[in-house]
Amino acid sequence: MTHSLYRKGSIEDLKNDYVIISMLARGINDKSPEVKKNHLRLGEILKQHNPTNLLLEAAWKISTVIQGCFSDIKDVREILKTIKEEDLGVSVVVSGLISEVKNVCDDIGLKMHTVNLALGEFGKKNLLPSEKTLEITTMCGHHCVSSQSVEHYIDQIKNGKISLEKAAEKLTSPCVCGIFNTNRAKQILNELTN
Amino acid sequence: MKIKEDLCIGCGQCVVVCPTRAIRLIDNKAVIDRDLCVECSTCYRSANCPSKAIKKEKLKMPRLVRNPFSDMMATHKLTGVAGRGTEEMKTNDVSGRIGMNEIGFSIEIGRPGIGARLGIAEKFTLLLARMGVEFEKASPLTALIIDDEGHIQEDLKNEMVLSAIIEFKVPYEKTAEVLDIIKKLDKEVDTVFSVGVISRVMENGDIPVCDLLAQKDFSVRPNAKINVGLGKI
Repeated sequence: MTHSLYRKGSIEDLKNDYVIISMLARGINDKSPEVKKNHLRLGEILKQHNPTNLLLEAAWKISTVIQGCFSDIKDVREILKTIKEEDLGVSVVVSGLISEVKNVCDDIGLKMHTVNLALGEFGKKNLLPSEKTLEITTMCGHHCVSSQSVEHYIDQIKNGKISLEKAAEKLTSPCVCGIFNTNRAKQILNELTN
Repeated sequence: MKIKEDLCIGCGQCVVVCPTRAIRLIDNKAVIDRDLCVECSTCYRSANCPSKAIKKEKLKMPRLVRNPFSDMMATHKLTGVAGRGTEEMKTNDVSGRIGMNEIGFSIEIGRPGIGARLGIAEKFTLLLARMGVEFEKASPLTALIIDDEGHIQEDLKNEMVLSAIIEFKVPYEKTAEVLDIIKKLDKEVDTVFSVGVISRVMENGDIPVCDLLAQKDFSVRPNAKINVGLGKI
């Protein structure tokens, strides 16, 4: 449903940005009432661990995907540990720094099964906006947050027309999947306007 | 999408949110460039148009194809997944879609945020089909390939989308050949594209494709998507 793979930023920046996606497999376990119940339980676990954003709860029952965004690897650790202990049996993907996620897996006795590595951008890269703008826009997996909206809110913040918090909220609104990290957007806007 | 000129008050909110810069203010009225509009519905959902001037229109082919490749709320009939991708590695621990000696690829034309004509995908699919890759059957882009040579449906090639993902897998030994195609087209396409590589993780934690990527001068980002193996059948 969403492409969290191409989030940008330095290693330090990405230490505050993790996405957890749980998806049921079409034709394999998406029709099982027990698995669906476990999937909804997973949503509750995500909700209890300080998500900076989360797929709307109303969508959980009708979707094969539940996902959220987190700023602290400790929350990611607790979430994975709880899912493992409760043996929910649903597929879980963590999108974030490989080294950090590997440490968590080693720590709680999980083995990474499959990785999706990002090789970055190719082609006419001169068409792209600045790296900092991309750090914000790439947090929307379907790229529905426009680069000109970032420019717009930077101007508005500089002119005192909107607060950092409100601008970050406004930038979050086109991302309906719940993986745009509002906290991180606020931090980047702060850097860009100071 | 359409903007009703008689209702538009020229506030410009739709101009700001448009991911492809397809909306401009002309004489204090918002006007959509139909060629650049990818039918993503972001303006309709997120501009909070105060006069409700933004309207969805009933699309017909070939323009209709823009919508599932651009609007995350559109569920493609083929995949059953909202958005333009598939389950890919997200359920690999139960689906086994990518095996131990296989490498999956996702080449996403138009990402990040620039957009692409579907015809650009054909530059890739022709070369990939020739080397015998296995295109992902559930991918919306695969549904547009009309023959074994990798041709894309002719009347759709000029359609502009926010991005389209070419998903496929190869036996490990053909990985280098795919990487060469990526290098070749890096210099030839007139938009951007992003590349993802999917690999199983060995029992000892190794990811052998990383060495090959380094040998071929590809940089791997420090962040990735990691299936942590919690799924069960």
